[in-house]
Amino acid sequence: MANLLLSPLEKMYILHGVRDDCRSDGRTNIDYRPMELETDVVSHASGSARLRLANTDILVGVKTEIDLPNNDQPGYGKLEFFVDCSANATPEFEGRGGEQLANSISNMMQKAYQSSDAFDLKQLCIFEGKQCWKLYIDILILECGGNLCDAVSLAVKAALYNTRLPSVKTALLDGGNVDLQLSDDPYDNKLLNVDLAPLLVTLCKIGDKFVVDPSAEEENCSVISLIVGATGNKTNYNIDNKKNESCTDSKCTTIVMNGSGSLAPKTLKNAIKQGIEAVQFLDQALGQALLRERRENVTMKKYSYGFLK
Amino acid sequence: MAEIYKLIHPVKYFNDYLTREVRPDGRKFNEQRNIKLNVKSLKCVEASAVVKCGNTTVVCGIHLKLAAPKPEEPDRGFLVTNVEVPALCSHKYKPGPPSDSAQVTNFLVSDIIANSKCINLKDLCIVPEKLTWVIHCDVVCLDNDGSLVDACIMGIMASFKTLELPKVLYDIETGHIEVDDAARTPLQVHGLPIASSFAIYKLGDRNILLTDPSSYEEDMCGGVGENFIVSSNKDLLSGTHKYGGNKLDTEELERALTIAKERAYCLENVIETCITNSEPTNNE
Amino acid sequence: MPIDYRRFNGPEDSVSYKQYTKNFLKSYEELCNELIDENEHRKDGRALDEARTMYARTNMISQAKGSSYVELKKTKVVCSVFDPREIPNKNEFSPLGQIYCEVKFAPFSCPRKRRALVPDAEEKDLSLSLKKALEPAVCRYAFPNYQIDVFVYILEHDGACLAGAINAAGLALANAAVPMYDTITACSIAVIEDKLYVDPTEEEEYVANMTPAKEGINHGIITVAMLSTLEQVAGFTQLGSMDGTCVINATEILQKECQNIVPIIHQILVKDVIHNIDLSEKLEKEAKLREAALNENMEEWKKLLSAD
Repeated sequence: MANLLLSPLEKMYILHGVRDDCRSDGRTNIDYRPMELETDVVSHASGSARLRLANTDILVGVKTEIDLPNNDQPGYGKLEFFVDCSANATPEFEGRGGEQLANSISNMMQKAYQSSDAFDLKQLCIFEGKQCWKLYIDILILECGGNLCDAVSLAVKAALYNTRLPSVKTALLDGGNVDLQLSDDPYDNKLLNVDLAPLLVTLCKIGDKFVVDPSAEEENCSVISLIVGATGNKTNYNIDNKKNESCTDSKCTTIVMNGSGSLAPKTLKNAIKQGIEAVQFLDQALGQALLRERRENVTMKKYSYGFLK
Repeated sequence: MAEIYKLIHPVKYFNDYLTREVRPDGRKFNEQRNIKLNVKSLKCVEASAVVKCGNTTVVCGIHLKLAAPKPEEPDRGFLVTNVEVPALCSHKYKPGPPSDSAQVTNFLVSDIIANSKCINLKDLCIVPEKLTWVIHCDVVCLDNDGSLVDACIMGIMASFKTLELPKVLYDIETGHIEVDDAARTPLQVHGLPIASSFAIYKLGDRNILLTDPSSYEEDMCGGVGENFIVSSNKDLLSGTHKYGGNKLDTEELERALTIAKERAYCLENVIETCITNSEPTNNE
Repeated sequence: MPIDYRRFNGPEDSVSYKQYTKNFLKSYEELCNELIDENEHRKDGRALDEARTMYARTNMISQAKGSSYVELKKTKVVCSVFDPREIPNKNEFSPLGQIYCEVKFAPFSCPRKRRALVPDAEEKDLSLSLKKALEPAVCRYAFPNYQIDVFVYILEHDGACLAGAINAAGLALANAAVPMYDTITACSIAVIEDKLYVDPTEEEEYVANMTPAKEGINHGIITVAMLSTLEQVAGFTQLGSMDGTCVINATEILQKECQNIVPIIHQILVKDVIHNIDLSEKLEKEAKLREAALNENMEEWKKLLSAD
């Protein structure tokens, strides 16, 4: 997006639009662009999701493997993120161009999921100190249209929601080795609890205000953005739609400043609050979409669009 | 004035000093720089040493690990020495994987330590074929102002002398390992290898031997780093290494060996004094 | 993992002996209770909101343009800055100068494990955070198409690494006479069980990153880098899980702590300037003495010549 050239007047137009809360594409400062989400698109993965946010296209696949837990964390599983920036996404990704961006995104995700409030790694434990599940989350960026972090976090949460782990029938300890038997039935599986999984929101500072989901042109107008990662909400994923469960506040799991500028402390604090609010809205919307997908799955009425849509 | 002269006529500037039998930093030809040694300065490792020879600064730290020995050598432990020359120590090194000269330094230091047999690898074995110690000895150069090898060897030896191994209980039947952190025995160190670096400068038809050269002198003498390194171990010559630069005749060689021998005495004294001085504070 | 042929590698399956010692695995509660006594004093006797005293100096590395050393009790950080050089492997003209940052842990720096010699994810992440924090502080327009190398080496890690690295880098950049908008200072805070630990040690950071026993308790680490005179936040990183009010409270405390470090940095820089002035005066005097001696010689020779 560095190739994008904007004249000072075009920048002024965007700046004034943001000031008056009416952006060049008609959105307000807190509006997202339309999104398309579909889960279960890759049959060979344990869980998968594809998300399209305007021109940004992301495919996430979750693979599972059995691994040894770390020595200092015997009761925990492992989670690993890998981002691949396809050379088709944008000309800059050719060769090793996308590597740095890919690293920074996977680092962001790793940090956001580190806390147990965000994702409980205990649910990946099979046999304490001996065996655990390791989830490889492969994120494929197919097309890049700005705002990658937000889109990736949404797609990852959807893919994890869709992930099925095979049920463990028996796990016996036999002379130091674990004897494991997994269920043969493909429908006998365990779903992960990802209600609290975090979402990332990029807040781009344009003029004096912050906007969410910036387009490539808007990203060009700002020198500093703030990425706020906060946990989701349990009630959004409650399948019975019961509202009796206490609504917990979103918690920040990671906040990072991005770009070469700096911020006044007061602006920073406002931005953090705005970011948490945005995450709550986003999580609600994602929850609805995922619940609908799951209902369709259960009733076998789901129509798969894949990449045809 | 002198700085400008140095930049415009680097060779003439250097020659002017050497013809007056003095080096640009005021030292005589066979004079070494001040040495500062400090042991046990890092708290989170088993043994450590900080060495300063003039401006050259190296830090050495030792980590202990346990591993199964190699099947072909079931009663020997592992000693892994690595010299890291990061980009921050001099403008000659660039970030990324170690350069060729950094690798040469690394291999040379490891060779000198391994060949001196100052540590008997059999001492490191806990249970043959099952369990041995692995000594990870890492040396980091913070400031490279010449004679890096000397400082590295000194740092490693000072750390070895202060290293204590914890007691290990190994149950052969179950393979259960228990380590008692409080009961420690000092590691046996045999001999004390010392390295002395020289640079050789050709002034007219005369060869000048510079003891303990600084980075600037090494550059002026050609080649990369030190020209000539003598390693000795307790009065015995254990090796000489000649790298590039000017040639060395027999007479010069003999002089170098005598200087190296005197220097080795001096350095041995420094290490011994430093370790004995550090002990009372340790007992408190 | 490919084998690194440029260095010596030990046996692959070696493990640290510490995991076989008796007190290797402790529960969260044990670790948590160890950190603080009933009088709200930490292990090293500090109060919760008390930062460690900082020792810092400049001119640490003779070969570098500017260098510094920062010590926060056991955390020891060395930083060196080199002259600007042309940006390698780049065809495009960049109107702003670049800052290249590299943070490296010494292999023996961490108490829990031996660091690999090849850079790992944490080091890359620290380098990126350092770069982001320094960019708003340096007048980058002053050296277009050039890059300044900033190397940070962490000799011993006892918490607040990023803060130490930023402080050291700011000091080294000033020592190297790189034009800057303001003094950059940084500080971190650890949140454990809703308590705020200013300037945490490695042990405190470890517990802050651990999973708490109860759900819904704030934990994590925040590091803030500030340009205090301009009142701007240059870098902000947060990790863990905490609610919005906790983040904002911690930020306010850190803002003050960052301000407290500024006079220390200024003092060192003033000392540095005075030292340099003294040195140049001394050199000038020596040069004058030498010149006078030479002139005397000349006079003598002239006399000799005229006598002949």
